[in-house]
Amino acid sequence: MEQFIIVVAVLPLISALLIQLFSGRFGRGIARVSVAATVISFLVSCFLLSWALGGNDPQAIQIGNTSTILLFDPLSSLLATIILGISLIVHLYSIRYMAEEAAYGQFFVLLDLMTAALLFMVIAGDLITLIIAWYLVGVFLYFLLGQDTRSQTAYRFAFWTLITYRIGDIPLILAAALLYSAYDTWSLTIIFDEIMANPYAHEFIGLPLTEVVAALIGLAAFARSAQFLLHTWLPYTMDGPTPVSALMHAGIVNAGGFLINRFAPVFVHSGDVLNVIFIVGLITAVFGSMLMLTQNDIKKALGYSTMGQMGFMIMECGIGAFSLAIYHLFAHGVFKGTMFLSAGSVINSARKDDGIPKDELYTFAVEKRPNKERQPWILMAAITLAVPLAILIFSHLLIAQDYFQKQGAIILLFFGWVTGAQLIFATYRMRTQNIWRLVGLSVLSLVIVVLGYAVISHAFDLFLYPDPAFRVQLYSAASIDLLYFNVLVVIVALIIVAGWLITYYAEHNDYRRRQQRQRLWLNFYALISREFYISDIYTRLTRSLLSISGQLNIWLRWL
Amino acid sequence: MPDALIILLCGIFLPLFPMSMVFNAILDNIKLAWLRALLLITWPLIGLFVILNSDVAWPGWLLPLALFTSSLYALRILTLREVNQWSGFLATSFWGLLWLPVMQETQAMLLFAYALSMSVPLVLLVFLSAGLEQRFGAAYTGLYGGLARTIPRFSGVLVIVVVAAIASPLFPTFFIMLDLVVETVVDTPLVAMVLLLIWLFWSWAGARLIQGLIVGRASDVKMTDLDTMAISFYTLILLALAIGGVYLSGVIL
Repeated sequence: MEQFIIVVAVLPLISALLIQLFSGRFGRGIARVSVAATVISFLVSCFLLSWALGGNDPQAIQIGNTSTILLFDPLSSLLATIILGISLIVHLYSIRYMAEEAAYGQFFVLLDLMTAALLFMVIAGDLITLIIAWYLVGVFLYFLLGQDTRSQTAYRFAFWTLITYRIGDIPLILAAALLYSAYDTWSLTIIFDEIMANPYAHEFIGLPLTEVVAALIGLAAFARSAQFLLHTWLPYTMDGPTPVSALMHAGIVNAGGFLINRFAPVFVHSGDVLNVIFIVGLITAVFGSMLMLTQNDIKKALGYSTMGQMGFMIMECGIGAFSLAIYHLFAHGVFKGTMFLSAGSVINSARKDDGIPKDELYTFAVEKRPNKERQPWILMAAITLAVPLAILIFSHLLIAQDYFQKQGAIILLFFGWVTGAQLIFATYRMRTQNIWRLVGLSVLSLVIVVLGYAVISHAFDLFLYPDPAFRVQLYSAASIDLLYFNVLVVIVALIIVAGWLITYYAEHNDYRRRQQRQRLWLNFYALISREFYISDIYTRLTRSLLSISGQLNIWLRWL
Repeated sequence: MPDALIILLCGIFLPLFPMSMVFNAILDNIKLAWLRALLLITWPLIGLFVILNSDVAWPGWLLPLALFTSSLYALRILTLREVNQWSGFLATSFWGLLWLPVMQETQAMLLFAYALSMSVPLVLLVFLSAGLEQRFGAAYTGLYGGLARTIPRFSGVLVIVVVAAIASPLFPTFFIMLDLVVETVVDTPLVAMVLLLIWLFWSWAGARLIQGLIVGRASDVKMTDLDTMAISFYTLILLALAIGGVYLSGVIL
């Protein structure tokens, strides 16, 4: 088994070395070496995943007498397979897509190195390997994004990515240094065992060490997963080659979710930090989605869509649904990877024929022509509010009877309810001959999605965190005082319901205070279209710092 | 020798501001690449030799001054465009940090290894800089650019040398910086934060240097790229440096 684990990690490195050495002799055919190595690694990782699924104990391999440890547990085996699967698709896609690139061989070297760095990141069983891999992902991404060395723009935004990643490295290194100083080992397994045995054994600046480390890990995850205020690099890095965008949005950006999961034994004793993580994720999800909706550049819209999804992923961690975050990153990775890789062919075929049927969905979504003939609004409002709630409650009751004891689960259901209700509300406004048929179809699709989501996320929960006590501990760590929680849920529910009712009523009576609303809307739109001026502020700060640096050099006569 | 004189001497060779300006002035005035390389290698070793052979009670202000020197030069590298000057400033910034292990009474051999860890990539950079001067008349960022297309092999080596110089894995300076953070984080977290900030500035400066040289359209004028011999030379040294880094990590971490 040990040999298999080493093969998975080392093959991409060997491939990179071979390409570097022989690309001059074999020309473009050298890409086959890279693809073959990725295929073998992927197959071996699938075998290891099936082995882990069989309920075998995690394996930790120490490399020689060094502190390097490779850890193969459910989390690393699952993520290694996902990384290699996505990397394989990107490799295959790149063979032809990058064919006209001058630095064809170099691209595959970087792609293999990136795959290796990501693999080492997820299978790292010690803090040093984790830091090295974490750091190198940023470096390799910088050069992959700057593959086109003629483009100043590509490098400008690749630099944004690099510097944000390096900012994110700082808290991770601090966390690692603190853990090493406290436990005198780099091994994650030993550190986690000691934390589980005595979580509050160490303090740092008067605070429990676990909380400080959790906060630092959270910060590192925020930078890597483009959370609000550390997100500006993500929507702008579209000048890199499409396969790199796919790899970045489908894999690399998810690293934050992985890191929080890896440090779950620390977070389980850091409830306050989880609450902050939830808030940051929520803000990111809202801002990301809002910015996505207002973009007229499709690639930037995709970038902000990823930001929104990352917000949801981090938010899931914040409510204690750690395994759900992993399912989310997997589902989002597959979905976003497909979107990026098929974007070119979609644009190409749309130039010949847009292929959009001029049906009721088209008139509603594209032509913005909502239905004028309406069903009774009270009836529709009742359906909108009640049906999604019923579906969610019944589907989750099927999975686990005690599901509703967890605050995190309630929050997730809340989001599911809002989304489902929004879907039915949109259906209500659509121009259609048979509204009941459309509502029926919407409800059916919602049932399938919710059931599928509930079953799969439950399966992820059982696989990644097989200890039921630990799962309960995670959820309870993320909980807040029950009274506050209930009050918050009621307030938010009332606000949402009131909002829907007002909208229903306004739509029904065609009542609009147009002028006043338009002015407000325009101001808001101006703010969003400038992306809340965050990039502008960062640019101004950067220029100021460079100006200080230049001024110092002049004063000190460049010595 | 009076203590003040020894401190002054150490401040020149293991640079402390404003004595650090002496080293940069000398480096700036040397035009021969091999002499620059010699200076980069010997300068901190002289400083360490003097320190290790003196019996001075180091004043309390020395460590804050060392950190200030390192931070100052890290900040100043950001706007440097001349490659040799860049090397001198980065060396000054790193050597300033060597005062930390000196104060912690680290073994002499390790201290010499620390100093050489930064000198070696910078020596390579000095030779590459000489190559640029030979081809373009100056080693200056943002002046010609497009080296990745004009002389791709040269650019590849340049990039890895810069990556090694800014303390990236698996090069020794990465592990030294990591060790310094580990040694300071509990007792003096502020110092650890400053170290990480300095490290961040190095990365920033490195990225600016790379972008200023390799990015852009290819030059119309044909340039000779590095030959196989030179590539092998650089590769061997960089490989040895990386292996040295991994070995050093086993010793210090």
